[in-house]
Amino acid sequence: MPLATATVRISRPAAGQLRRWLRRSFSTATPEECDVVIVGGGPVGLALASALGSSQLVRESLRVALVEASDLSKIRDWTPQLGTFSNRASSLTHKSQTFLKDIRAWDHVEEERTCPIQDMQVWDGISDARIEFSASLLNLGAPTQGMARMTENLNLQRALLRHLNSVPEVEILDKSKVRTITNESDTGEWPLVHLDNGRTLRSRLVVGADGFNSPVRSFAKITSYGWAYDTQAIVATMFHPTRETFIGRSTTAFQRFLPTGPIAFLPLSDVASSLVWSTKPPLATAMMASGPEVLSRMINAAFRLPDVSMRYLNQVILDAHRAGVPVTGPQIQAEIAWRERTHGIDETSAYASASVDPMKEGVPPTDAELLPPLVKSIQPATIASFPLRFNHTDSYLGEGQGSRTVLLGDAAHTVHPLAGQGLNLGLADVECLSRCIQEALRNGGDIGSRTALLPYAQERYFENHKIMSVMDKLHKLYSTSYEPVVWARSVGLEVVNELDSMKAGLMMEASGKGLGGSSGWDFAANAVETLAATAGAAGAVRAGLVGALTTAAQNVLKTDKSISSNNNH
Amino acid sequence: MHLLRRALHTTSSINPAEISHFSRLSSQWWDEAGEFSFLHKMNPVRIRYIREKLVEVARDEQPSYNESSSASVLKGLDVLDVGCGGGLLSESLARLGAKTTGIDASESNISIAKLHAAQDPRLAQPGPSASLSYLHLPAETLLFQEKRYDVVCSMEVLEHVDNPPAFLDTCAKLVKPGGHLFLSTISRTTLAYFLTIFMAEDVLRKVSRGTHTYSKFIRPEELTAFFRAYPNSTSPWINAGLGSPTRTQAEVRGMVYDPWRASWTLAPRNTSGAADCNYLFWVRKPQAA
Repeated sequence: MPLATATVRISRPAAGQLRRWLRRSFSTATPEECDVVIVGGGPVGLALASALGSSQLVRESLRVALVEASDLSKIRDWTPQLGTFSNRASSLTHKSQTFLKDIRAWDHVEEERTCPIQDMQVWDGISDARIEFSASLLNLGAPTQGMARMTENLNLQRALLRHLNSVPEVEILDKSKVRTITNESDTGEWPLVHLDNGRTLRSRLVVGADGFNSPVRSFAKITSYGWAYDTQAIVATMFHPTRETFIGRSTTAFQRFLPTGPIAFLPLSDVASSLVWSTKPPLATAMMASGPEVLSRMINAAFRLPDVSMRYLNQVILDAHRAGVPVTGPQIQAEIAWRERTHGIDETSAYASASVDPMKEGVPPTDAELLPPLVKSIQPATIASFPLRFNHTDSYLGEGQGSRTVLLGDAAHTVHPLAGQGLNLGLADVECLSRCIQEALRNGGDIGSRTALLPYAQERYFENHKIMSVMDKLHKLYSTSYEPVVWARSVGLEVVNELDSMKAGLMMEASGKGLGGSSGWDFAANAVETLAATAGAAGAVRAGLVGALTTAAQNVLKTDKSISSNNNH
Repeated sequence: MHLLRRALHTTSSINPAEISHFSRLSSQWWDEAGEFSFLHKMNPVRIRYIREKLVEVARDEQPSYNESSSASVLKGLDVLDVGCGGGLLSESLARLGAKTTGIDASESNISIAKLHAAQDPRLAQPGPSASLSYLHLPAETLLFQEKRYDVVCSMEVLEHVDNPPAFLDTCAKLVKPGGHLFLSTISRTTLAYFLTIFMAEDVLRKVSRGTHTYSKFIRPEELTAFFRAYPNSTSPWINAGLGSPTRTQAEVRGMVYDPWRASWTLAPRNTSGAADCNYLFWVRKPQAA
């Protein structure tokens, strides 16, 4: 340190004075003391600010600030046009909703803009093996509340901001970018957060809720491991006719596992749904370049046509894109109609799309409830795409020079979106971290210390890892069209589907002891674990079918046993 | 009796070898993953016990006790932390609003404690009632001043002093009438030897060798016996009949380390064997004394 040479000739108190003076003159402003600096004003960061702000103990004893680069008033004043929806929506589990209700933030969510998911239809793109989940199986207090609730991220963020309006103790510093984070020069322990507006916050605890490219994580030098899937997710808001008269309200989520990736159709209202279509990057690029009409027709086909035809249609779109002449709507409609004819799908079938007018009134065909409604158009400017990644940090807590930092949400883990778990994992992190902070406060602890934060890391790391691994395995399991694997995964799915008691049992297991916190997605994750076990079996299939059969049977028996023991409780 | 036998050898409670041992380790006090990680993890449990005990006593004494004030039960109390080390317990007590004084016989411990607290604005610039100060002196010196304390704590110290009866006498005298004395230490059992010396020091090397001496460990019943005859056998602090002391006069609670969760838990009351290793001891000075 250059200061050392200067301090040789002067007495110790003078050295301290000099150092203080130097520090003051180097930094643009005197550091302001903060207890918690949350970096990132996304749903997770705002939820933590709300959760901390809802605790009287925190309000009385901590100074909490949230730093966000963008202008949050745009979200605070978000007034969407009736009937239109943002393309980023999440299925919030019961657990997430309960947490948001507990911190009084859910009161501010515009519930009319949310939609419960009461049923799920999930099927295999190759074998059509199918599993149906229903909230009525869950034995929830109010099945109409669904197993999860589709909520636009903006609706949630706005609710959190409105909640924070009533908590003046939590300071929101938006339009402020974190320029850099440093350590105090002479002690190296407390982090200094330098903002681009010249303010410097000396913080007991810096929370990284700053997403996948987390600056807080870089400061704390926390390494992570992961990989990019060779997959791009397309999102969009889709419009379709209501099916209320014959099939009931649109409260079913549909997901089909195609070898290129899963496609999901998630209800937002009776006439609008959210698309999450994971597919190969070149195909995503080509489809997005072909415009909304082609995309709508491809979505309808992707839920209905056999895989062989999807492969053909994908090739048509890719070839046209490469040739520089994107496919037009009528062209793709003609291709799909032709494929339907070759498969013997006539226009009265639920599996027909190209030859059907989506606005056609009348009694829907048999099996229509197994498939999503026909997309008639896509809300303008809602088509977007992003690459999929798997990423998990090696630790949630900074050490040494990076101590007094903690990561949560996407800054700590990025997960495959195939079960819409990302935000729910983030909110579970928030719930746990805010609980640990309050517990430390009750015991006079230093909330930035490892001792206070370790329970958070211990509780969340394993839990997140488990769910992330399941999502990853599921992705890999369904990316193959290798026949024995398809057979094994299909048998697993059909067997599980036939055993209502097993499904219910899996749900019970997922919900822990009390049903209050039960969550359909947790349950789905468990069902998926069974499938992942089948995936393990899939490896054995390559060695010999007998082995696979035994393993699958054992898995079924094992699960069944755990259910019966569960029911005894 | 073990306590008396040890008392025969020395007159002052401070052991110079112990002081130099901890002075050597003083820089590591605040390395939460290092030498003192067990103490860091134990700290919330100790504080929780102190709080719960104070709330329990307040509830017993005032039938109309306002539960909402339980969070601030330490606020404004004069608290002395004897053998504060790096200040792990003192800082927490001060954050909860206690007017805290931490004392230690090792000068380097006191400098580390002061340095660490100076970094924390909430301790360096305390509020109206809370404050934190550190003094390098033996507990005996405080007897010369008039000030007495609502709560005297001495955590994980008793097993390092030379003359436990003299040390207990000093601590007891520093307590205000009706005040509380909290101690935590290690029992002299085979289990305690196995866990705190054989495993922690010799096998796992989590704690420096020589930190603990088996013969200095003290059994909970020895502490109870001491206060049944303290300050004299006619009006002792614990005057309930033989058997376990009543809940309003004294209490022994085991602390159990769970290596799987890497955390300490306070064992429920009257769990057999729970106090065979680390335990907390609480005794209350009679109002009239």
